[in-house]
Amino acid sequence: MTTIFLTLLLFAQAAPSRVDTDTHATAEAIQQHQPDSAIAQFKQAIAQTPNDPAPYIGLGETYMRTSNFAEAIAPLKHALELNPDLPPVHRQLGYALLAQGYAAEAIPHLDRSKDRAALGIAEIETNHFAEAVTNLQAALSEKPNDPDLIYYLGRASQMLANDSNERLLAQFPQSARAHQLKAENCSRFHEMQEAETEFRAALAARANLPGIHLELGELYAQNSKLVQAEQEFREERRIRPGSAEAAYRLGQVLLQQGKARDAVNELNESNDLMPNMPETLQVLGKAAFLSGDKTLAEKSWTQLLSLESEGPLATQTHFDLASLYRSEGKKQEAEMHMQQFQKVRGAKR
Amino acid sequence: MKWITHLSGIAACVMFLGASTSTPVFRLAHPTGLNFILQNSPTPQKYLIETMPGGIALLDYNNDGLPDIFLVNGGQISSPMRTPENFSRRNPKYWNRLYRQNKDGSFTDVTQAAGLASIGDGNYGMGVAVGDYDNDGYPDMFVTNYGKNVLYHNNGNGTFRDVTAKAGVAGGGWSASAGFFDYDNDGKLDLFVTRYLDWDIELSKACGAKKDTYCQPGEFGGVTNLLYHNRGDGTFEDVSVKSGIAAMKGHALGVAFADYDGDGFTDIFVANDVVEQFLFHNNGNGTFSEHALDTGVALSSDGKMLSGMGVVFQDYDNDGLPDVIVTQLPRGLYPVFHNEGKGVFLDKTLTSGFGMLSGSVSGWGIGLEDFDNDGWKDVFITQSHVIDNVEKLDSGLRYLQPPLLALNHEGRFEKADVGNDTPVAGRGAAFADINNDGKVDVVTTVLGGPPEVFMNRERSTNHWITICLEGTRSNRDGLGARIKVNGQVRFTTTSGSYLSSSDKRQHFGLGRATQANIEIVWPSGIHQRLDHVEVDRILRVQEPKQ
Repeated sequence: MTTIFLTLLLFAQAAPSRVDTDTHATAEAIQQHQPDSAIAQFKQAIAQTPNDPAPYIGLGETYMRTSNFAEAIAPLKHALELNPDLPPVHRQLGYALLAQGYAAEAIPHLDRSKDRAALGIAEIETNHFAEAVTNLQAALSEKPNDPDLIYYLGRASQMLANDSNERLLAQFPQSARAHQLKAENCSRFHEMQEAETEFRAALAARANLPGIHLELGELYAQNSKLVQAEQEFREERRIRPGSAEAAYRLGQVLLQQGKARDAVNELNESNDLMPNMPETLQVLGKAAFLSGDKTLAEKSWTQLLSLESEGPLATQTHFDLASLYRSEGKKQEAEMHMQQFQKVRGAKR
Repeated sequence: MKWITHLSGIAACVMFLGASTSTPVFRLAHPTGLNFILQNSPTPQKYLIETMPGGIALLDYNNDGLPDIFLVNGGQISSPMRTPENFSRRNPKYWNRLYRQNKDGSFTDVTQAAGLASIGDGNYGMGVAVGDYDNDGYPDMFVTNYGKNVLYHNNGNGTFRDVTAKAGVAGGGWSASAGFFDYDNDGKLDLFVTRYLDWDIELSKACGAKKDTYCQPGEFGGVTNLLYHNRGDGTFEDVSVKSGIAAMKGHALGVAFADYDGDGFTDIFVANDVVEQFLFHNNGNGTFSEHALDTGVALSSDGKMLSGMGVVFQDYDNDGLPDVIVTQLPRGLYPVFHNEGKGVFLDKTLTSGFGMLSGSVSGWGIGLEDFDNDGWKDVFITQSHVIDNVEKLDSGLRYLQPPLLALNHEGRFEKADVGNDTPVAGRGAAFADINNDGKVDVVTTVLGGPPEVFMNRERSTNHWITICLEGTRSNRDGLGARIKVNGQVRFTTTSGSYLSSSDKRQHFGLGRATQANIEIVWPSGIHQRLDHVEVDRILRVQEPKQ
């Protein structure tokens, strides 16, 4: 994978780093895709001027262009011994070393050439994940649509997370965070009971650790254990009274149990704590509608549409508003929102 | 900005909520003589038909006052299927079966004697509808199939006769639920037949990454439903096109009838699988208009398609207006569409308690019956996922599931102990007071297994009355009559549920009331009133001549 990426990088270079002393003949040979001829000519030039870095560079580049990374290393190294101040040559040597699996050796050269993409990749290979993330993010900021860079950044981040998690589990196995981590992993593998046990262990280790009740509540909610979910969200609300999300989650699970009025209270509070969250407004509208407060429902949904006129939430909100207006006998408004709903949904029978 | 789901990507595990009552309402009975096994014949090829049967009817075919049981069988499916496939329906193992109830509560298989052994080659059984289409006082049966449907006329002497050809109701394709009703109030029962998919052996395929599971219905084309008008001479006219019913193509599985807007004409709700639900409004002139979207019953509360299976169309909150509850597959709740009047329904799934009852379960047959006679109709649902290896696709789901019983507490449903938590592949469900003890019982069908008989052993001293209508100007069964007892309303029907047909007698729980005030609006338009009626009995009511 690394080799493929480096090959791509090499051919993506806008201009070769060929030094000015290239002979006309070798340049021609390279351009005519006759690497053997070019190699012979560079070797001849080296024999004639052994202290000139140029033919070494030319020879190394020719090897690089034919993906003969192993052969490229020696002449590029020799060129840098003759003149260490050649960043493009450092880059080429860094690529060659990296392609050959010498990531640690490649890093100083890639660093000097300021090639942060390749440097990030080399750092992944040497398990320097934090540095890799930094460098790949920097590279990505210059080339935001490069799928290779996006991939490597994802990989570096994942490795960094794994590294951090392993450290946590190894050094602090009984800590609340270790139990939280294990609980989250169990959840991912649909091991509900194990996840619940680990979340409980996390709480036993640190009773008021913020976020645990929220996650445990979500676990219960996703498994249709709504009463238990409500208890956990209430606990999170107690620990973090300023958490808009805890209020939102509590409101949502109350609504799912049909406790529409209680849900309205929580969702209103969530909306006060963090105004204009479209999801909060959506559920608030639903809870208000079901509790008979059509004014609040209309206000919430209209507000949502002013914030988010497209997307799934907007589509659903048009549907909800159509229901609301239909229930009020406002046929025209109901029809309008139903048309919007149908238009966005593009549904056909 | 969005709220992040901390546990994203987690599929919900199946969690069966704890029951809210300690005494089971039902006892799983094993009546002597009821030895039926529903042969659906699952194959490695995953032919979709094999996961969809089978229907059940509770009817009193011999008018002895004891409900009998008719069970629809699937058939044998070759692996792979032959073209044409005959489903081996001549083999007794694959017969439909009629069981006559004896006075001691046991059953006798009278299939052969009743002339019901033959279902015809090329038919794989699905459902059954019951109604006295010729008003001779004996219930007739219409059996739906993948293949040709069959109408059995009840001869009144314990036998039936296949009159399909004369009646002209064979249809074709893949039929599912069906129901008798009188859409033009002419006193003769008409017939509505749902059809599921444009499917046959040539179109069949298996789905899933390894081609090892049943396909979603969206993989196949939609089809139209059938409406037959009863001419009154033993024949029916296919009016599907001219009535407007055939204007809509769907994936229909369930059907239920009620007059939702009180205009005196019976409307039709069709449960569709992953297309919009249909609500056919009866225009009163022989035509229907589809109004699901603009009445609010087409989609779930969040605007999504339902995988509609079964349906019930009765009033659950005692406001006198028929509501709709649809059973469907998991990740969606069983929607409760509350009839607000003026032709508008509101989704009250959450406030009625169904947010707590559904979500990770899959529903099929359904009934709204007052099992504890407290004056509020409760709900019973057979459950099981449609895909027999769903655990491989989603470890949070289960193929086999126990049925759901939820008791109605003034419009809010709470789970109760059904009396048998053994998970099964439940499909059809029919409702009747089988032993005439004043408590509604349930019989369900199970893929690959025997039917389950849930005998009601509820111990309350609540009162009840069961009303058996006899139409004179209206159809003999009184189907379509609106019966109001002490403020509660039932719309008289044998239809609803999934592939099944329930007792035509309408049961009312009366709580502490020791008298019943009864109002009946017959399909003929005649209003009848009976005051201070003695309770705790089965009351036969004949329609007045005028």
